[in-house]
Amino acid sequence: MTRGWLPCGDYHQEYAKDHGWWQTNVIKGKMILLLLIVSVGFPLSLGEYWLGVANMIGYTALGALGVQLLIGYAGLITLGHAAFIAVGAYTSTLLILRFPWPQFIISWGLGYPISIIIAAIVAGLWSVLFGLPSARVKGFYLILTTMAAQFITVDFILTQYISRIGGRGQAFSLPPGTIKIGPWLIDSDLKVYFLMITLLTLTVMFMCNLLRTRVGRAWVAIRDNDIAAETLGINIVWYKLLNFFVAGFIGGIAGAFWVANLAALSPEHFPWSWSLWLVGVILIGGAGIDGAIFGSIFMVMVMEILQIIAIPLSEYWPIVFVNFAYIKDMAFGLAICAFLIYEPRGLSYRWWQVKNYFNLWPFSY
Amino acid sequence: MNKAGEMEEGDVILKLEDIHMAFGKVQALNGVDLEVKKGEIHSIIGPNGAGKTVMMNCINGLYRPQKGNIYFKGENINRVSPHKRAELGIGRTFQKLELYGGMTVLDNIRMGSHIHLKSGILSGSIYVGKTKKEEIEEREFIEEEIIDLLEIEGIRDQVAHMLPYGLQKRVELGRALALRPEVILLDEPMAGLNLEEVEDMARFILDINEEERWKVTCVLVEHDMGVVMDISHRVLVLDFGNTITDGLPQEVGNNPQVVKAYLGEEDLYITRR
Repeated sequence: MTRGWLPCGDYHQEYAKDHGWWQTNVIKGKMILLLLIVSVGFPLSLGEYWLGVANMIGYTALGALGVQLLIGYAGLITLGHAAFIAVGAYTSTLLILRFPWPQFIISWGLGYPISIIIAAIVAGLWSVLFGLPSARVKGFYLILTTMAAQFITVDFILTQYISRIGGRGQAFSLPPGTIKIGPWLIDSDLKVYFLMITLLTLTVMFMCNLLRTRVGRAWVAIRDNDIAAETLGINIVWYKLLNFFVAGFIGGIAGAFWVANLAALSPEHFPWSWSLWLVGVILIGGAGIDGAIFGSIFMVMVMEILQIIAIPLSEYWPIVFVNFAYIKDMAFGLAICAFLIYEPRGLSYRWWQVKNYFNLWPFSY
Repeated sequence: MNKAGEMEEGDVILKLEDIHMAFGKVQALNGVDLEVKKGEIHSIIGPNGAGKTVMMNCINGLYRPQKGNIYFKGENINRVSPHKRAELGIGRTFQKLELYGGMTVLDNIRMGSHIHLKSGILSGSIYVGKTKKEEIEEREFIEEEIIDLLEIEGIRDQVAHMLPYGLQKRVELGRALALRPEVILLDEPMAGLNLEEVEDMARFILDINEEERWKVTCVLVEHDMGVVMDISHRVLVLDFGNTITDGLPQEVGNNPQVVKAYLGEEDLYITRR
């Protein structure tokens, strides 16, 4: 994995330090500051609307992290990740609405947290099911099998059967008061924001750790050279399935979070284009975990800015507002084209360059 | 074998019996036998297309021979998959570099010790206690035993595909060593290197073969006759899938059949430099 160089004059004396996330105290300070800003600064300074936008960024980032794990780290190209997010969302919802929880779990507010974990596991297993073809096929052919996951899961099973449960048509809605974590009722954007920050931070932490140990290296090895990986004793099929499981697991977390964010659920929230969108996010964001997060911030913010521009324009050309969905898609396509042409390595590479410039300054040669 | 069931020097560690391997109508290997004794450097030579690399791939499990048996430490490994063979102790380097281009040198070498680490997704994602300890112990091992041996301290944090060819070959050897193999299959480790790099590589091969710490049995495929004749204990000569001879380097060098097959009518010792 590429990493930034240390600033001039810094060096390590222990291996443990070299393995650390934060290589110097300055970096450690910066990261803690960042954590403080997102967990204290933003909630204090941003209004409800922008917190909602931040939640959307978090949701996109959780989804994109799963895609990054599949495409970026293991080279398993997927175009069906929305299916696993949907599985997570539906599992969580059904558990909350239909599962006969013992009274003490409901009164302690453990129902939703438990459902997040179960949703993640179910989504992970569902993902493994559709990852099985990866034992035999690679590249473009794998895209087709993951697309099959999308259509079978969302358009067939969820639309035709699961969403009919309860007999109230297509959509589920979660009555107020059902989504509760411990003593806190998740009923405002602010609380959803805190949930998002917690989930995202934990996911990023787990992923970072996983990627610097044996499992993560095995995934990268499979991506870079599967024959050599096999001769070094890596069971390729097992690690591919493990990758599908973890990606699906993260997708399941994203889905369960979506339930809390919207308190309603319909198969229309997980169209195939959402899978495609997530792939676009990591294309724009670039390599690594930070790539997925930069990409999410970029894409969601671009859409928000477009909306801000479109609202005054629609006074003169109402058609802009009517067709906003198409404008969004167009902007998405344009952004991907622009990135592929001008910065194929994505935002994270630009960020890396900026960081290194300052790390090596004034001896940049 | 001694009482504990461990191999001793001179025992046959790797044995190929009557290996037949055909790709369509091309008979790549036609009843080849090979016996590698523990502690040896056993070279396989032959003109291009003789079936040397195919043989490596058969030992390694990437190809399944149509006929014949492969024994490793006395056990038949015909049906064992490549990654299981690596766990048994068969390491491998490649003729065309098969490094993980996007990873750093250190990560490439760490990759090799995959089978010696234990963390799974749960313990790996938390990274405390055992996982952290084993990662750091592994790092110490790699730094002190492999990076130091191969003299690649300066490039450990560089991305593998950016390195010059000679260093990449060295990193690949390091990666195979991190597996801590008992038998290492070296597929043309000197191809494309300059004289100095060839000398270094020969030194490394002798080091890992002779040093008490490693004592790795080497199966070496190489075109550089000077190196082969100097460092190997035994030499097997192949020609279009057939064994010509298998013997000591001096015998092989004087065998008129070998000279004919390998170099036409010229002197065997006239090599490309």
